[in-house]
Amino acid sequence: MKIAILLKQVPVKDATLKVNGDGLWIDEDNVTFEINESDHYGLEEALRLKEKHDGEVVVVTMGPERVKESIKQALAKGADRAIHINSSGYSNPDPIAHAKLLCAAIKDENFDLILSGLQSDDLGYGQTGVLVAEMLGMAHATLVMETDVQDGKIKVKRELEGGWFQSVELPLPAVLTIQSGLNQIRYATIKGIMAAKRKEIKEIAISDLGVSDADASGIQMHKIYLPVKTKQTVVLEGDTADIVSKLVDKLKNEAKVL
Amino acid sequence: MAKKDKTDVSFMKSLFAGVIDQETIFPYPKLPQDEQENLDMILQAWNEFAKDAVDSPQIDRDKKIPKEVLQGMAELGFFGLSIPEQYGGAGLSETAYCRVFEEVCNYDASLAVTLGAHASIGTNGLLLYGTEKQKQKYLPKLASGEWIAAFALTEPGAGSDAAGIQSKAVLNDKKTHFILNGGKMWISNGSISDLWTVFAKTDVIEDGVIKEKISAFLVEAKWPGCSAGKPEDKFGIRGSDTTALNFDNVQVPVENLLGPLGKGFKVAMETLNVGRLGLAAGNVGGCKLLTQMAADYAKNRKQFGQSIAEFEIIKDKIANMAADAYAAESMVYLTSALADRHTVDYSLESAISKVFASEALWRAANEAMQIAGGNGYSTEYPFGQIVRDARINLIFEGTNEILRAFTALAGMQGPGEYLKKIGKALRDPIKGFGLLTEFAVQKVRDVVTKDTLKNIAPELKEQAERFNDFADELQSNVEKVLMKYGKEIIHHEFIQQRIANMAIDLYGMAAVISRVDSKIKDSKSVEQEMPLVQLYCDAAWRRVRREARQIENNLDKQRRQACDLIYNSKQIPFDVFHE
Ligand SMILES: Cc1cc2nc3c(=O)[nH]c(=O)nc-3n(C[C@H](O)[C@H](O)[C@H](O)COP(=O)(O)OP(=O)(O)OC[C@H]3O[C@@H](n4cnc5c(N)ncnc54)[C@H](O)[C@@H]3O)c2cc1C
Repeated sequence: MKIAILLKQVPVKDATLKVNGDGLWIDEDNVTFEINESDHYGLEEALRLKEKHDGEVVVVTMGPERVKESIKQALAKGADRAIHINSSGYSNPDPIAHAKLLCAAIKDENFDLILSGLQSDDLGYGQTGVLVAEMLGMAHATLVMETDVQDGKIKVKRELEGGWFQSVELPLPAVLTIQSGLNQIRYATIKGIMAAKRKEIKEIAISDLGVSDADASGIQMHKIYLPVKTKQTVVLEGDTADIVSKLVDKLKNEAKVL
Repeated sequence: MAKKDKTDVSFMKSLFAGVIDQETIFPYPKLPQDEQENLDMILQAWNEFAKDAVDSPQIDRDKKIPKEVLQGMAELGFFGLSIPEQYGGAGLSETAYCRVFEEVCNYDASLAVTLGAHASIGTNGLLLYGTEKQKQKYLPKLASGEWIAAFALTEPGAGSDAAGIQSKAVLNDKKTHFILNGGKMWISNGSISDLWTVFAKTDVIEDGVIKEKISAFLVEAKWPGCSAGKPEDKFGIRGSDTTALNFDNVQVPVENLLGPLGKGFKVAMETLNVGRLGLAAGNVGGCKLLTQMAADYAKNRKQFGQSIAEFEIIKDKIANMAADAYAAESMVYLTSALADRHTVDYSLESAISKVFASEALWRAANEAMQIAGGNGYSTEYPFGQIVRDARINLIFEGTNEILRAFTALAGMQGPGEYLKKIGKALRDPIKGFGLLTEFAVQKVRDVVTKDTLKNIAPELKEQAERFNDFADELQSNVEKVLMKYGKEIIHHEFIQQRIANMAIDLYGMAAVISRVDSKIKDSKSVEQEMPLVQLYCDAAWRRVRREARQIENNLDKQRRQACDLIYNSKQIPFDVFHE
C-alpha cells in the first residue's frame, strides 16, 4: 500500500508569539517549530498501516527550509521518503492554493491512501485534506478515529459530536483526515535517526509545480493580534443559599451555560 | 572509536611546562552539522520518552529503576550510544555521547549512573582494547541492551589505590583458561549486568623474572563461580544497582583477556579517562538544571513583600551558579572534542573537568536547597534528592583528592623529567649537548617572551592577560617545587593540591576564553554571556593567585601540627569548660 502523509510544521504549543512588523503574521525568529499535532497521529497511523499491509509511507510537506527538521523526524520514525515543496518566500494563507500545490506535487504518485491531520494548529482551517481529495477525485472521510483496510476498501470510525461515532466504508484510493489521539505515537529510535540520513527528500520549488494561480487567494489577511486576557475571578459572598442563587444567576445570564 | 597511537600533545601538560599550546584548543570545537542534527533528534526522542516514562522520585523511593524504563531505553537504542554502527550501536562521538548523557542526568541520576556504568566504563575497555573477535561477540548484545555491562576495578582493600587489587587470575596448565579468584566492591550494575570488565593480578614474565601485574578480562556474569552480592543501601542514586562481586575459581577462557597481559592498569586508566568525562558532562546538566530551578523558585517565593529573587544575597548565589555552570560546560565540551580527535592526550583535562564539574554541582545543589528554604529541606521538593544524588560524583571514578594529586603529579612529570635530564646534561655537558641547547632555547624564550595567548578578541583582553600571567606562575611554581623537592614531591600533597587547583582554574579560563573568542570571531554576539565569563574568570584568577602565594607562604606546618594534635588524642583535646 502506498501511503502519503501530508505533514505540516507549526509553532510549538507553548511558544511566546509576537506579531511581526506588518501585523499580518507572527515574528518567526526565536520561535521553535514542531510537527502539527494531529499530523503526528496521521504519521503514526500511516506507519502502522504500512507495518500491517506493507508498502511505503511518503511524507509530503510544504514550507520553508526549516520544515526539513520535521521531515527528518518523520523519516526517523520510519517514513520511507519525503517530498518537500519548498515555499520559501511564498505566503498565501488560502488552503485552496495549498491544496492545488500539494496535488500538483503528488498527483503522479498514485497513492492508495492519503492521510492528513484533522487541522493545523496554526491556521486551523481543517480544509486541506478535504480539498486535496476533491481535486484528486478521491473519496474522503474526516475526523477519523480508527482505520481498517480490507480488500481494496477502508473502514473508518469517525468522531461525531456528543460522544457519537460513525462507521463508514470507503473505496481506495481515499483521503482521511486524522483526529489526535487515535493511536499512541512512537518515539524515534536512534537507529531510525541514523537511517533517516540515507532516505530521499525530494525538493520541489513552487515555481516548478506548474500551478499558474498559486498566488491567487480567496482569503485576505487584514490583521492578526494577540487575544486580550479577560478572565476574572469573582468571589461570591453570603450564606450558602445566597451563594447558590447568585451562582445560578451568573451561570444562566453571564456564562450562559445553563 | 578507532584506537590510534596517541601523540604526546596535551594542552595541560604543555601548560605545566610553560607552553601555551593554543592550536590545540582554538578555535573552540563545534560538531559537524550532520552530527549536530543527529544529536538534536536523539535529544528530542529522549525527552519525549523520558517525560512519559521516567519518574525520578519514584526511582529514589523504590530504590529501583522500573524494568520498562530500561527496556524502553534499550529499544530506542540508548544502550549503544557510543558503540560503532557496524556493531549495532549509534556510533556517537564522545561529544555527542556527553550531551546525551547530560540530558539523561537531567531526568534521573540513578538512571544516568546505570547508563554510564554500562555505556561508558562498562563498554569502553572493550571498545579501546578489544580484539575484533571480542567486539563481534559482545558489542552487538551490549548495543541492543540485551546485555548490560559493568566495570569491576574497586576491591574492599583497594579503592583509591586501585593498583593494590588482590583478585588474581592464574593461567591453567593447559593454557586454555585463567582461573580467577577474588572479589570486587561497589560495582555499579553489579547484580543487573551480564558482562564485566574485571581487573586482576596475573603473573607476567619480564626479563626472566615473574612479576605480578594487573590484566583486564571480559567475564560473563553467568559463568560458574561468578556471583553478585546484595544491592547496597545508599545515600543517593538509590535506584542505581551497586553490589559486591565474587569470583570463585571462575574459568576465564584465554581469548577473554582484554588488552595485552599485564597491561590491565592502563586499560583501566584509559577507560576512566573517558568515564570521567561523561560523568562531568552529567554534572554540567545538573548545574544548569539547578540554576534554573533555583531561579524559578526564587522568582515565585515572596518575602518582605517582594520576590526573594530580588534580594542581592540570592542574586549572588544564582550568578555564581550560572558562572560555574558556564565554565564547567566550556571545559567539558572542549575536552570531549579533544577526546574525539583520538590523537590527543586528554587525561588531565578529563580529570580536571570531573573535579570542577562535580564540585560546581555540589555547590549548586547546596545553594539551590538554601534558596528553597524550609521547602528545600522537605522531601516533597526535589532539592533533597538532588543533594543526595549529586554527592557521589566527588567520590567515584577517582575521588577528587586522588584526581587532584593525579593532575599535579602527571602535569609535573614532563617538567620533572626535563629537569632531571637537564641535571644530567649539566653534569655531562658534551654528551647532553642536544638537551642543553633545547633547554637553553626554552629558557631564553621564558625570559624574553613568556608564552601568551595570541590574537584574542579585544573583549577578552583582561581575561587573556590574567590567564597569561598565571600560566606563567604555574610554570615557575612547578619548576620551583620540583627543584626544591625533586621526586619527593609525591609526598607533598599540600603542594600538589595547590598546583592542581591552579591547573583546574587555568584550564577553566582557557576553555572559556576559547569559547567566547571563537564566538566573537564567528561574528556572533557574546553580550549575553560576558557577565558569566567575567565572573568566572575573575573568581578563577583570584583563586589561582591565592594558591600560588601559598606555595611558599603557607601554614602547612600548623596543619601538620593540628593533625598531630588530633590524631594523638582519643578525644577532641579542647573543651572550653575545662580549661
Ligand atoms: C555508588 C558507587 C558506585 C561505584 N561504582 C564503581 C564501579 O562501577 N566500578 C568500580 O570499580 N568502582 C566503583 N566504585 C568505587 C569507587 O570508585 C571508590 O569508592 C572510590 O574510588 C574510592 O575508593 P574507596 O571507597 O576505597 O575510598 P578510599 O580509597 O578508602 O578513600 C577514602 C578517602 O581517602 C582519600 N584518599 C585516599 N588516598 C588518598 C591519597 N593518596 N591522598 C589523599 N587522599 C586520599 C580519598 O580521596 C577519600 O576521601 C563505586 C563507588 C560507589 C560509592
